[in-house]
Amino acid sequence: MKAVVVRGIQQFEVADVPMPEPAAGEVLIRVGYCGICGSDMEAYHTGMYAPGLIVGHEFAGVIAQVGPDVADWRPGDRVVVNDAVPCGECRPCRDGRLDACESLYMIGVTHDGAMAEYCVAPVRGLHRLPDGVGLRRGALVEPLSVALHGVHRSRLKPGDRALVMGAGPIGLLTLQCALVAGARMVAVTEVDPTRAALAQKLGAAVVLDPTRDNVVVNLSALTDGQGPDVIYVCTGAPQPYRDAISLVRKGGQIFVLGLCVEPVEADFMSVAMGDLCIEGSLAGRAQFAAAIDFVAQGRVDVESLITHEIALDDAVEKGFKLLDTPNSGAVKVLVRIGGELTADR
Amino acid sequence: MKLASLEYLEEVKKRSNADPQYLELAKGNNESYTLVLEPEPAQGVHERIVIGFNNVDGKMNEVWIGERPTLFTLSAPYGVWVDILRGKMGATKAITMRKLKTQGPFLQLLQGANRIIRWVEILTTIPTEFEGNYAQYNLPGK
Repeated sequence: MKAVVVRGIQQFEVADVPMPEPAAGEVLIRVGYCGICGSDMEAYHTGMYAPGLIVGHEFAGVIAQVGPDVADWRPGDRVVVNDAVPCGECRPCRDGRLDACESLYMIGVTHDGAMAEYCVAPVRGLHRLPDGVGLRRGALVEPLSVALHGVHRSRLKPGDRALVMGAGPIGLLTLQCALVAGARMVAVTEVDPTRAALAQKLGAAVVLDPTRDNVVVNLSALTDGQGPDVIYVCTGAPQPYRDAISLVRKGGQIFVLGLCVEPVEADFMSVAMGDLCIEGSLAGRAQFAAAIDFVAQGRVDVESLITHEIALDDAVEKGFKLLDTPNSGAVKVLVRIGGELTADR
Repeated sequence: MKLASLEYLEEVKKRSNADPQYLELAKGNNESYTLVLEPEPAQGVHERIVIGFNNVDGKMNEVWIGERPTLFTLSAPYGVWVDILRGKMGATKAITMRKLKTQGPFLQLLQGANRIIRWVEILTTIPTEFEGNYAQYNLPGK
């Protein structure tokens, strides 16, 4: 079968690989769509995935085969997969912090992923897609769960004011989740004009370009001089992490959802003086089912984020390389593999 | 003249660029600043005032009213700025104690502490009118 395989830094290729076999407790999934995630891009730049790995963890598909001992699931079931499956035994798991699992099974990160014609997944990560939600939109359930989990974990309360730094897919979904959660105003910072326009369309009160606007002055005017109650940092660039500390209101919270590979120097005295809280989260396991419902109910617009749909053969040239191009206009690039597979295929 | 008016800013520029001690301390400085004076309606200060300036090799080059992206943005309630100009609170203390909220490379700002102190001394020589209840602290100038 065909798959996108890691060969090294900025060396991903579409290759022929052996068809995987589902083991006990696993299913084989024929993949419909798989998105390229920001973390896949970080891996593309830094080599943080092992050579030989098949990438891809934002996906939806149809079960093609079930492994031994698998009950409740059958071929033809339309599924999305929670890509981060905790071990259930380590200290964080026993404390109920499943997303902090020390042995997290991550499809497309620690195990072969779904930017391929087929992939195997543990049944513990499976969720049924409701009728009316196609595989295309289903592929965005995973990033939505990340954003939803972040907003759920944050201190945002109805009536609060928030700032989302970075309007990539996670930022745009976080913007929408914050509004659903009752934020009275969500501002966004973004330099890319396509992403900025999308943020505006999806409900941002204002979209500020830090290269053109004075963010402090504008936020000050929008928040009675206080600063936002919660800032969600949803970017891989280091500067917003530094800026967030001086932008958030006293007693406010900075919630990190982005992955910034390089260390960031920051003003921690202001953290103490401002009685600030800094937290972060990685995956959205706990909110996965809610994310499916939000897509099904249309309460979050995931469709607008999809700017490009490409074939598996083009995943590197028209996907990873496109997203690597500044101001390319790309937001979410979806790799169409089987497309909207019908249950009987 | 009214604090943070264009006339005031031009006077700040004139006096700063004529002060040998300040120019020596500011030599090589090419930073840009936005200063935000937050309103305090209870004190009769109703409008947010935003001003800015940049330095070219230590000399104040351009001053303006309004918003531009700058290297540093310092913001505080109007009364904090009044306290600094009255000498009730040191500027660097206000920065380190976060009375002045600072956006920008903090260490770089603190490295210019002596320049900032001298600059504030220059400001206190300008006849200055404050708004609202702060008018009682107007500076006569020198």
